[in-house]
Amino acid sequence: MSALEPTTPSVPKRAGWAWRPFALTLPALLLLVAVIGYPLFTIVLRSLSEPQWGAQNYVWFFGTPVNLTVLQRTFVISAWVTLVCVVCAYPYAYLMTAVGPRVRLALVLCVLIPFWVSGVVRTLSWVILLQDSGVINSVLRSVGLDGVRLIRTQTGVVIGMAQVLLPFMILPLYSVMRGIDLRLMRAAQSLGARPFRAFFTVYLPLSLPGVYAGAIIVFILALGFYITPALLGGPRSTMLSTLVQTQVLSLLQWGRGGAMGVVLLVTTFVLLALAAPVMRSRHREAGRR
Amino acid sequence: MRLKLGHTACVAMLLAATAAFAQSKPVAGEVAEGSLKGKTLTLVSYGGIYQDGQAAALKEFVDKSGVKLLNDGPTEIAKLQAQVESGNVTWDVVDTDDLPPYVYCGKLFQKLDLTKLDVSKIPEGQVGECSVPAMNYGVVLMYNKEKYKDNPPKSWADFFDTQKFPGVRGIDGSGSPTGGLLEQAFKVSGGDPKAMTVADIDKAIDVVRKLGPDTIFWKTGAESQQLAESGEADMLMMWTGRAMTAVKNGAKYAPAWQDWLVVMDQMTIPVGVKDTDASYALINAYLGKQSQEILAEKTSYTPINSEAQPKVDASVSAFLTNSPERQAQGYKQNFKFWVPNFAVAQEKWSALMAGN
Repeated sequence: MSALEPTTPSVPKRAGWAWRPFALTLPALLLLVAVIGYPLFTIVLRSLSEPQWGAQNYVWFFGTPVNLTVLQRTFVISAWVTLVCVVCAYPYAYLMTAVGPRVRLALVLCVLIPFWVSGVVRTLSWVILLQDSGVINSVLRSVGLDGVRLIRTQTGVVIGMAQVLLPFMILPLYSVMRGIDLRLMRAAQSLGARPFRAFFTVYLPLSLPGVYAGAIIVFILALGFYITPALLGGPRSTMLSTLVQTQVLSLLQWGRGGAMGVVLLVTTFVLLALAAPVMRSRHREAGRR
Repeated sequence: MRLKLGHTACVAMLLAATAAFAQSKPVAGEVAEGSLKGKTLTLVSYGGIYQDGQAAALKEFVDKSGVKLLNDGPTEIAKLQAQVESGNVTWDVVDTDDLPPYVYCGKLFQKLDLTKLDVSKIPEGQVGECSVPAMNYGVVLMYNKEKYKDNPPKSWADFFDTQKFPGVRGIDGSGSPTGGLLEQAFKVSGGDPKAMTVADIDKAIDVVRKLGPDTIFWKTGAESQQLAESGEADMLMMWTGRAMTAVKNGAKYAPAWQDWLVVMDQMTIPVGVKDTDASYALINAYLGKQSQEILAEKTSYTPINSEAQPKVDASVSAFLTNSPERQAQGYKQNFKFWVPNFAVAQEKWSALMAGN
């Protein structure tokens, strides 16, 4: 490294070199400001200014029990979806790293093809599978078991949402797992660790960044879900997006809808901020080992 | 020179007279040849087979007037509000649900000048200050024939009576409350719908809530149809169009027509359209006998021109709601009550929909 040092100072001297990378991101930044920043600003503004200036929309939100119930439910359902996705995606992503290129291609396609199908279509397929007279229940009944109520329950919603969101968990996990040197496992075993031990002390910590990345994406996407809970759920699985829709589209209460969006956003930030230290410390720990 | 002036004046007077004549006596379904040449109108509706039917019903109008007709949708009042507020209204004629033209009359929808429309063939009591009907249909109680056999439910009172008629109920949970259903529920709780007050909305909603946790709130018309065809629900509140299709597809369901709820879509002209007269011309053509026949044949919704005699088969005509018998059985919601209380009712209904 030190041998290279003398050449490096000449780089910053060139005028404009330092901010050139920023210039390259300018199109993306402008797009973000235009399609995320400005609408977000409008939402916050309208939540505070309609019908008149003040915190009335927030007072209304926190003073109406149904809003709080649904807010809490939105986070609980999203947490379940994230958990189901982690449990299903982890072995799948691992398998993708362990097999030959042909099988891997098949596994990738299995993930991606449903990903290309519209969410509405997939959700309607779940209706056919989950309903009381649907495929799952007829199979259960034909083998002499009692049917189970899946559609219009939170379980049904979690199943449907987890399937829609699974690729967002598998792909980051796979990209992290691909970089893990499998010889480390063998090294651990040669030093006397049982396979289980080797997995939990070597492989799992190294793969955690993928788990966190996937979990955050899935959790955040799940919070805003609309179609799937609407079609697979009943009143007891209504999520916040449905309430926002009612306020804006049928009552024209943009201020209240905006306030609901802001509350959801802020709560998400707070939760992620709380989770961040945990993720970071584990990360470092993994690095140290 | 003089002669020329006189000539011009003459032509002008003639033109004025024609215009005055055209304005004073519009005939539903008619439009002057080439009168809208070079103009563009955007019709906004709910898409699917319904809007295709509307486009077919307006084909003659388009051909004759020379207008270019664009279709957009689905109708969303929030989008319309954004257009009106920004002063850039691109929707010229908007097909809406029952209530919005009453709730936002004069604010989002123009007060209609009835000298520009021929409303003489529209069923009584359906022309509003800001709207004319776009079609009629009903919300009807459908029941599973195999489940109830010889003792079928006959009214909404039976629908709400889970003791006498056990079974799963399916209710329209697509968004807004149906005023007529809440009035029927209020009647079950012992009240008089004609004297309903805001506090009574809770009583009505409680009757719905008491149907229990098995109650299905369907989100789309397609879902309600699917519930009937798969037999998931034993009694269903259904739109007549969907009920007809379900029965056609083999659902073993039958309607209980007593107090079927009269509903309609509304034709409106938003505030701030670029060419109000062109919008009037479209609606006036739409109200014509022939247009309404085409609409009914293509969509199986009930035409709103009383002279229309669509050629439809028996399975469709069984669910048309304009026969004298059906008209006598129909129940009209109390518009005067629901319009000012729309927001309150929506709020309470949403809470029910969200599991509270």
